[in-house]
Amino acid sequence: MRIPCPYCGDRDHSEFRYGGDATKLRPKHGTGDLDTWHDYYFTFENPKGPHTEYWQHVLGCRQWFKLTRNTATNAKVEP
Amino acid sequence: MTAFRRTPSGGRIDRSIPIAFHYNGKSATGFEGDSIASALLANNHTIIGRSFKYHRPRGFLSAGLEEPNGLFTLGEGAETIPNTIGTTTMLKPGMKVKSQNAWPSPTFDVMAINSLASPLFTAGFYYKTFMGPTKGAWMFFEPFIRRAAGLGKATPDKGHERYDTRNAFCDVLVIGSGPAGLAAALNAGRAGARVILAEQDCELGGNLLSTQLESEENWRRTVNDELLSLRNVRILTNSTVQGLYDHNQAVISVGLNILEVVQAKTIIHAAGAFERPLVFQNNDKPGVMLASALRTYLNRFALAPKRRAVIVTNNDSAYTVAFDLAKADVAVTIAEIRAQPSGEMLSSAAQLGIAVFPNSGIADVLGDKHLQAVKLSGRHAVIIECDVLGMSGGWNPAVHLTSHGGIKPVYDERIASFIPGLFAEGQFGAGAMLGNFGILEAVRDGNSAAEQAIAKLGLKPTTRKGEEPSVSEERPYAIEPKWVLNATDKKAFIDFQNDVTLSDVKQAHQEGYLSVEHLKRYTTMGMGTDQGKTSNMNALAIMAGLRGMAIQDTGTTTFRPPFAPLSIGAIAGRSVGKHFRPTRRSPLHAWHENNGATFIEAGFWQRAWYYNWAGSTPESAYIKEMQVVRSNVGIADVSTLGKIDVQGPDAAEFLNRVYVNGFAKLPIGKARYGVMLNDDGIVLDDGTTSRISEAKYYMTTTTAQAGEVMSWLEYLLQCHWTDLDVHVASLTDEWGGMAVSGPNSREALALAFPDEDMSNEALPYMGVKDITFGGSTVRLLRLSFSGELAYEVHCPANYTISLWEHIMRAAASLDIKPYGLEALASLRIEKGHVAGLELDHRNTLDDLGLGKMASTQKDYIGRALRQRENLQAPDRWSLVGLELMEPDKKIRGGAILFAANDEIKGHGRGYITSVTWSVELNKFIALGLYKGGLKHEGEVIIAAFPIRNEQVRLKILSPHFIDKEGARLNA
Amino acid sequence: MLDALSPLGADARFEREGVTLTEAPHFILTQVAGDEKMMKKAFGKLPAKVGAALANDNRNIFRIGPKQFWFVGDTIEASEGVYVTPLSSGRTRIALVGVRAREVLASCATIDFGTSQFKPGHFVMTGIHHTPVTIHCVGDNRFHIYALRTFALNVWEWLCDAAEG
Repeated sequence: MRIPCPYCGDRDHSEFRYGGDATKLRPKHGTGDLDTWHDYYFTFENPKGPHTEYWQHVLGCRQWFKLTRNTATNAKVEP
Repeated sequence: MTAFRRTPSGGRIDRSIPIAFHYNGKSATGFEGDSIASALLANNHTIIGRSFKYHRPRGFLSAGLEEPNGLFTLGEGAETIPNTIGTTTMLKPGMKVKSQNAWPSPTFDVMAINSLASPLFTAGFYYKTFMGPTKGAWMFFEPFIRRAAGLGKATPDKGHERYDTRNAFCDVLVIGSGPAGLAAALNAGRAGARVILAEQDCELGGNLLSTQLESEENWRRTVNDELLSLRNVRILTNSTVQGLYDHNQAVISVGLNILEVVQAKTIIHAAGAFERPLVFQNNDKPGVMLASALRTYLNRFALAPKRRAVIVTNNDSAYTVAFDLAKADVAVTIAEIRAQPSGEMLSSAAQLGIAVFPNSGIADVLGDKHLQAVKLSGRHAVIIECDVLGMSGGWNPAVHLTSHGGIKPVYDERIASFIPGLFAEGQFGAGAMLGNFGILEAVRDGNSAAEQAIAKLGLKPTTRKGEEPSVSEERPYAIEPKWVLNATDKKAFIDFQNDVTLSDVKQAHQEGYLSVEHLKRYTTMGMGTDQGKTSNMNALAIMAGLRGMAIQDTGTTTFRPPFAPLSIGAIAGRSVGKHFRPTRRSPLHAWHENNGATFIEAGFWQRAWYYNWAGSTPESAYIKEMQVVRSNVGIADVSTLGKIDVQGPDAAEFLNRVYVNGFAKLPIGKARYGVMLNDDGIVLDDGTTSRISEAKYYMTTTTAQAGEVMSWLEYLLQCHWTDLDVHVASLTDEWGGMAVSGPNSREALALAFPDEDMSNEALPYMGVKDITFGGSTVRLLRLSFSGELAYEVHCPANYTISLWEHIMRAAASLDIKPYGLEALASLRIEKGHVAGLELDHRNTLDDLGLGKMASTQKDYIGRALRQRENLQAPDRWSLVGLELMEPDKKIRGGAILFAANDEIKGHGRGYITSVTWSVELNKFIALGLYKGGLKHEGEVIIAAFPIRNEQVRLKILSPHFIDKEGARLNA
Repeated sequence: MLDALSPLGADARFEREGVTLTEAPHFILTQVAGDEKMMKKAFGKLPAKVGAALANDNRNIFRIGPKQFWFVGDTIEASEGVYVTPLSSGRTRIALVGVRAREVLASCATIDFGTSQFKPGHFVMTGIHHTPVTIHCVGDNRFHIYALRTFALNVWEWLCDAAEG
């Protein structure tokens, strides 16, 4: 599997670390009650198909970025 | 039994180069160009093994990669290689070849008694015997089956073979070098694409290596030579594409020892097709082979059946075999399953003196161990004495690789087999694997696949079109599938390697294992090293027949990598021995090495565990090392701590968010202990952060969480808090550090840095200052992990050894001594500092007794979810100190804690995390997590260690065993 | 004076037909981060993209991220809006030279090191044996590999082992 790093280009998946669902909006620092944070942190759609996630090019430029891919085929999808 | 003879001329062997080898300990000779299989056949070894379950005699079925029977062990001792496919491995001088699954020899096998007991081994035998109510039978059968079965044995000894893994990139990967692959590679190569041509055989040509036609051989050679001359074409022979993965990544085994991972922009599948056997009584008897194999043995290896061959077929392809055999003076009879084969075929056969019996088949194969005669079925139920029987049930395109990405193949009535469904993005097919079996068709397919790949790549197509071989157009391939020739008996084999018969498939059907995936698991069909290359199609077609379904609707089992057997050594590559995983060394490593340290692995790190000045075992050494710190001064390597440079105008705000305690007002020149939580409110890490200047901080993390914390800070800054102007950089490798600890540590540093004021006023507890010493920046931090008066001294890693040596020399008069990880970790237990064993990503601040650190004045990460009901429950397992009440016994890390009156059973009320001998208290002490924690202070509880059947009494205490007031720290 | 010691040292030399590995110590490496405008003011022209180094008289500048650069050469001082992190001790530089150098790299990293793809001046940040490295093509079949100091011996031995093949 190849992952497109926006800075370094397509690289082997072994250079990356997965950072979870990127479709959810993190509550602003200093805001959000228990329920808001609970929903943000623990509940996920986990779709089969197009999905936007965080990845970090950890054996590379160390930048975090959003990647939209089809979770069933790993095909890149335009967000 | 002589079934084959060498032809006096022809073939691709070199009769002038004899090759001596050993087979089962006896000498034999073949020729250059022989495979193991052809050499054995030439030496009259027609029975080369015993079958897996019934120990029936078996010979070679094929001449290729699909071979189910001809597996051998090569070499001896540490260089043993089991399960080598004899049909595709070329003979080498001195090769030691041993048959497998036969004892004492393939021709006399004591286990053949299984054959008589065969009802025992029918389909579902394993399921029923070992999964069902008679499970106990396993105890009886296990050694018996294990010894009798098994396809070769791997050696436990370390050999000298070198294995490696490498990476490659190309524009076009061509899989297979038959006519289609050759044409595709040539055209892609001429267009200037970077081409890799992968061929499993030792020579390019595929099916063309088995031809008698000079025109075909000439074309093959011309293309071969041009490919060799193209610098942009890499030819990999002896190379099997084992798997295709997302985004056109191919994994190729190159020979036995190398695994190459190829990232291809486009892939052209030209993997060809496998001939399939026919299902009839005793079709596994040595001498019964695939018809195409007879042609390969004849034309490539110069081996003709001695006198007479019978061919049984349902399609046209076997006629080519018959014609070639007849031309080599073999008497040939064809048992033609179809009622009306083409007139053209019949007249050609007649011209060559070949008898054809239409509407016929095979009723039985006769002979003791080896085939001696066949009995035809149908109207001409004659018995024909012969040396070999060639069978052709049609051809199955090698769709395996096209399906690895999850694309199912589709059934094609035209060829009565499956062809690739869709191709994945950037992949194309050509030739026999599309069901186009003619040579010209394959070449034209190859040309067109190359054109498509070139267009996809955006390259200019070559102006020089690939020439076609000068052969006449073939008539279209014709076949009438007939899946079973006689439906009666138990000895009509479908899967030769796993001994699955027609009646096994019927039994699976009767017992309700209807889907092909269930059929496979119930009968073990297709589960051998050959992955059912010769058997799957027949089995699923027969199942479709039994169920009255269309073959398309029955479907195929799932194709998964690897395509063919490969060595585990190549998968592991060089990641063995000391390279099994990376190792990490402190910048002080060389000093430790030269000064009597014993090392211990901690994560990737090699850490100094204890030093030989203190003792020769860790148990004795660490206590002496602790004593030095408690009573004098010691020096320890703390370079493994994570260290992070945090800079920018918003650094204070950033730190204030990530730590639970306040960092907004940390003064310059001060360090502060801080704890971080994850978003979920669980403790992530602890450490100190120092303010070096207005907008510059120096963070330390635990050794274990250094990478995790760095990624976390980057995540927050890059993904969420983009408005904060903060820059982080890892300094873990840039800075080394040492702890100088003990009541005499101040004096030691005063000796080492005589120009610096080391007084308590100038550098108080939690004070930090940067000095320049000996040409380097040196950072003095008054921190203590041990609970004693202590300092950490950090500097850029290039200078750490020199600085450490300087301190050792300067403080020599104090008798300063190095101490290792064991003492370091034990001193902190006495002080009650938590470390990795307690920070296990399951504990809250309160669990660790750190709840009071959390600020009520500000927000911090994890604050909201820390309030979850479960995390606030009053009886959570939380940190306690423990002391041993029975001085003659031991406390063990991981022991399970129980209240005094509890039954000693189950998970208890907690467990021991860390244990040490306390030099100060003169007894064993421990840290642990206990339900309700310090609410039970003073209670005597039980620590059980069930695997050693030990129980000891412990008393719960505050985890701060020494200096609760911190007088020593502030001294 | 304190002595500067590199992790591999002058004895580190490995030679096989077509490939030589040595340590190339004594370099000054600084990571620089901050606002691009302020950095341009301080340093002049900066490389626009990750992947190609900008070389001038006394330094090589690598862009390693949207706001981060590596300067290899002279000492770099902080200035307004420009944050520097010295890393000269934190990396160990290994020189890999020879006609087989690209082959050695191909068995270590999942990068296309073909001559048409990875040319003098190019660099990549990737992994060798699970650890991060920066590989800089400094000439035809000449490379500098910057490895993390604490993994340097590990990367060195891995490269030597690859060169053995």
